Amino acid sequence: MAKLILPFLKLIILWSTVEAVFEDQVGKFDWRQQYVGKVRFSHFDTQMQSSKKVLVATESNVFAALNTRTGELFWRHVDKTGPEGNIDALLQHGQDAVLVVGNGRLLRSWEINIGGLNWEIVLDSGSFQSACLVGQQGTVKNVAVLKKTAISLHYLSHGHQKWIENLPDSETVDYQSVYSGGDGQVYALGVVPHSHIGVVVYSVEDGEIIKQISVEAPWLSNIPASCAVVGQDMLTCVDSTTMSLYMLDLNLQPQMTQIPLQSLAVEVESGFQPSLVSHQPNAALRPLSEFFLQVGPDQYLLLQLNDGQIVTLRDFKPAPLVSFATTGEKTVAAVMSPKNQTASTINLFSAETGRRLLDTSLIFNMDPNGGKPEKLYVQAFLKKDDSVGYRVMVQTEDHTLTFIQQPGRVMWTREEALSDVVTMEMVDLPLTGTQAELEGEFGKKADGLMSMVLKRLSSQLILLQAWIGHLWKLFYDARKPRSQVKNEITIENLSRDEFNLQKMMVMVTASGKLFGIDSKTGGILWKHYLENIPSNAAFNLMVQRTTAHFPHPPQCTLLIKDKDTGLATLHVFNPIFGKRSYVTPPALPQPILQSLLLPLMDQDYSKVLLLIDDQNKVSAFPSTKNVLQQLQETASSIFFYLIDSNQGRLSGYRLKTDLSTEQIWEVILPTEIQKIVSVKGKRLNEHVHSQGRVMGDRSVLYKYLNPNLLAVVTESTDTHQERSFIVILLIDGVTGRIIHEAVQRKAKGPVHVVHSENWVVYEYWSTKSRRNEFSVIELYEGMELYNSTVFSSLDRPLVPQVLQQSYIFPSSISAMEATLTEKGITSRHLLIGLPSGGILSLPKMFLDPRRPEMASEQSREENLIPYAPELIIRTEWFINYNQTVSRVRGIYTSPSGLESTCLVVAFGLDIYQTRVYPSKQFDVLKDDYDYMLISSVLLALFFATMISKRLAEVKLLNRAWR
Amino acid sequence: MLHMERISLLWCFGQAAFLLASCFSDMDGGPGAAAAPQAAGGGDRFKIEGRAVVPGVKTQDWVSTARVLVEGEEYVGFVRTDGTFAVNDVPPGSYVVEVVAPTFRFEPVRVDITSKGKMRARLVNHIKTSEVIRQAYPLQIRSSGPNTYFMKRETWGWTDFLMNPMVMMMVLPLLIIVLLPKVVNTNDPEMRKEMEQSMNMLNPNPELPDVSELMTKLFSGSKGSSKAGSSSKGTRPAAKRR
Repeated sequence: MAKLILPFLKLIILWSTVEAVFEDQVGKFDWRQQYVGKVRFSHFDTQMQSSKKVLVATESNVFAALNTRTGELFWRHVDKTGPEGNIDALLQHGQDAVLVVGNGRLLRSWEINIGGLNWEIVLDSGSFQSACLVGQQGTVKNVAVLKKTAISLHYLSHGHQKWIENLPDSETVDYQSVYSGGDGQVYALGVVPHSHIGVVVYSVEDGEIIKQISVEAPWLSNIPASCAVVGQDMLTCVDSTTMSLYMLDLNLQPQMTQIPLQSLAVEVESGFQPSLVSHQPNAALRPLSEFFLQVGPDQYLLLQLNDGQIVTLRDFKPAPLVSFATTGEKTVAAVMSPKNQTASTINLFSAETGRRLLDTSLIFNMDPNGGKPEKLYVQAFLKKDDSVGYRVMVQTEDHTLTFIQQPGRVMWTREEALSDVVTMEMVDLPLTGTQAELEGEFGKKADGLMSMVLKRLSSQLILLQAWIGHLWKLFYDARKPRSQVKNEITIENLSRDEFNLQKMMVMVTASGKLFGIDSKTGGILWKHYLENIPSNAAFNLMVQRTTAHFPHPPQCTLLIKDKDTGLATLHVFNPIFGKRSYVTPPALPQPILQSLLLPLMDQDYSKVLLLIDDQNKVSAFPSTKNVLQQLQETASSIFFYLIDSNQGRLSGYRLKTDLSTEQIWEVILPTEIQKIVSVKGKRLNEHVHSQGRVMGDRSVLYKYLNPNLLAVVTESTDTHQERSFIVILLIDGVTGRIIHEAVQRKAKGPVHVVHSENWVVYEYWSTKSRRNEFSVIELYEGMELYNSTVFSSLDRPLVPQVLQQSYIFPSSISAMEATLTEKGITSRHLLIGLPSGGILSLPKMFLDPRRPEMASEQSREENLIPYAPELIIRTEWFINYNQTVSRVRGIYTSPSGLESTCLVVAFGLDIYQTRVYPSKQFDVLKDDYDYMLISSVLLALFFATMISKRLAEVKLLNRAWR
Repeated sequence: MLHMERISLLWCFGQAAFLLASCFSDMDGGPGAAAAPQAAGGGDRFKIEGRAVVPGVKTQDWVSTARVLVEGEEYVGFVRTDGTFAVNDVPPGSYVVEVVAPTFRFEPVRVDITSKGKMRARLVNHIKTSEVIRQAYPLQIRSSGPNTYFMKRETWGWTDFLMNPMVMMMVLPLLIIVLLPKVVNTNDPEMRKEMEQSMNMLNPNPELPDVSELMTKLFSGSKGSSKAGSSSKGTRPAAKRR
């Protein structure tokens, strides 16, 4: 019987630990935001008046179509990261968008309505210079691609190459630009720096060279930066040293005409490189003869080329941004000019005359916490009365896209900085004012009976008031139709919920913009753009004071470090409101090597941050007297480690009472053989509930729970597949003692590591078997604990028992993290981000080195699953169902107030937030709890007792009569 | 679930052994398809081609969300509007090619490319990596249906309740306890001995209190009492266990 029951039981247990999403839970606690990255090229779909698409190609190698009404994605294609997926050019013609990808390696054409690929062809190798659409007799049929040494022409319809020609004298002439005016000719424009311009004219039909021009231009070095083709094939260049415009008719004389800028009555600001902006509305037609000349950071001239003469149509100053736009036959110029500190106005001007169009001004309110506008994309359209209307998309320095309609209504904004989140923290929300008031009552010292009573009464009154207010709101909302009820969350009504499930997500992005996001809805509650962030900055976000210390505001500190110089700055802010704190952070003149947040607190309850500079000097923040005194007292127990991966050195230091440091251990890993890839400690806020595991024979196997343990991953420098290897070193961070070393031969990175409790899980690529493998190391003290009350690294003579097991994983992974709960009672799951976009929740139970090869009675007793070499990916275990997350870079887990629930944020190109229940929701009623059943059963039982009571009475009576 | 996994694994092994024998001759013929090399920066590069099909769904409804991943995200390709795809610039080697779409499931395929550009496709087998079960090349990847992401909610019904293993576990012993004494004469000493023996065999771990042990105790306890008494005694502890 027992044998029969046990498998049954196991089945139940297994099923119950396997969590999955129910279909009716979709969107209940989870949300996803999709991003595209910083926009590099953008085109409005102009083929139809009613079109709602804007195409964007971004620096994150993403090509997408956005809905201009809502800002949401129609479709998105995510290419490889790195230079091979880099988008070099975007050309649009009708329903097709042509992309040049990977330094001119691939040419792709997309169907923009459904977002499918038309064709993709491989181009010959060579560094990409420029591309343009080539039209002939009014229709565009080809695309020309100019490379360093060759020019090729391809059909738009199927991508096949029409012809390819080597460029003449490509060793000396630097061909930089390609142009076609729709007359059956393609011009390759090249320059010999500081000598002359070389132009080669090809016939579209067969690639024959029609003409070769060489013109002296000793002042020119870069064609795209200072030249443009204007009007009737007139190459126009501007030069800052001679303060002149140069014009060259590509069809006529081999000579440039010089027009001094003084004749146009303008001056170029000193040190400014002037540039030209021309506009070619249709590739089959010649460009407009009107063009912009930028003579200063915020000064543009609208010029017109008229029979070889240049006429100034209008001078725009101040005007930091201009753009041309065409609709139908009309071309307009949009000019942005600052209105005041926080707002700019955009006006439309007729391109032909330079006259301002009536009723076309639009106000763009700049976000005080954002960056300056950087680019202007204009969508022009004809209104019913044949006048020109327009909408603009403004791109700002902080990668934000804002789409504005006249007269200044913001239709949507996209915070594209969020496509590159570097680090994040989840901060508890503060209590509401009333809650804080109640808390305050208990916090303060008692001052007399009477005042205490009064205080109590007043707080009860406040509660009553809040309750009535709540009731009133309920009543009021109930009368309104459901769609009108808005529960918008703003900073003002933020408050902690019952189970602390709603938190503030503080996200730090690579562009230096900080965001505060409500974890429940995904709404951005605050944003703050930090200017002057170096492009290679490393960020470290720390929560110095949580919201638990009312009335002290919570405090976060962001350490921004320049990776090259090591110089760092601190940004201290309030994570709930995003405001910079009044606390002034210390100036850090020396490069910072390490930062550590101590559990010590100053009198204002802010944790102490220690910063170690390259002189091994330690500075504390905050550095009040109180802190320094505490530091002196506890200095003997403060240890830290430094990693120098360039020299392969790991070293441990001890803090001395005078805040200097002393090296106590050093481990050198020879850099010729291996390099340190990552070092992982344990999460500070991790709790382990049980000290050991109960075995099948009722004995206890105690876990080796060393909080100072570091998992160091190294990869071999030799990448040959036979000789490459990876090493996992488990080092005690205090003593430098190597607890364990695991070498995986014929393996290479990237290695993903999770280090928690008494286990380390890592994933690597096995070069021998060409597959991904997982390995788990678990450390145990044995059947007895050495010292069950305190763990000290200095007093642990016994080496822990090490168990290890490896598994095959059928997919590569992009990020990995373990779930985390309040008390650590709930079983753990590993959250694994897959390249397919799924986030797999794999029970840790499957990665257990004690899984037996043959199931025995005792292993069944322990609920160990028999060993199977391959771990299985089940789509039911995807916590994000079909809401795929592209390029997951990190997964952040945070405990909630409920032990069963762990909050998860996966970030990469997208952001996805959800809750997971690794052991199901054992502490709250499930949302499918059957109230009907329980109440009907209760009622039935109640009536049954009533009836049976009555029957019993009758029976008793009958018996008495007998 | 555990059993199912094990069975499928066994099945896999069986199949592998069977097919391994049949594929040796295939090896000699060498990979069938060959591709023209695409010259690039270091060494030849090749193109992996194929077609993905979702039966019963128009291609335009799913191609915009689909991607072709070669060895994770090492090489990425996109699906054309007619369902065909090509991944360019892949150096010689062995790769797992996967078509990824959020709504549909596609089986991965391993593609081997020799340094001369000969291609072959085979089933992915992570356990026996050298095993060759040929697939068509250019790849023909058929979706095996929509991905199942959701669990079914348990709906309450009488049959579900009764077929629940927990309920079965409670009801069956109850039945046995009530019915068995009526069928078998427990007062017969030979019978009882036999029963005890069989119970001991079933229960190797004496420390574990379980149902069988409970039953033997019950039977020994009901020695002197009447049949009705034994049944009433039997139900009480069982009820407690609940």
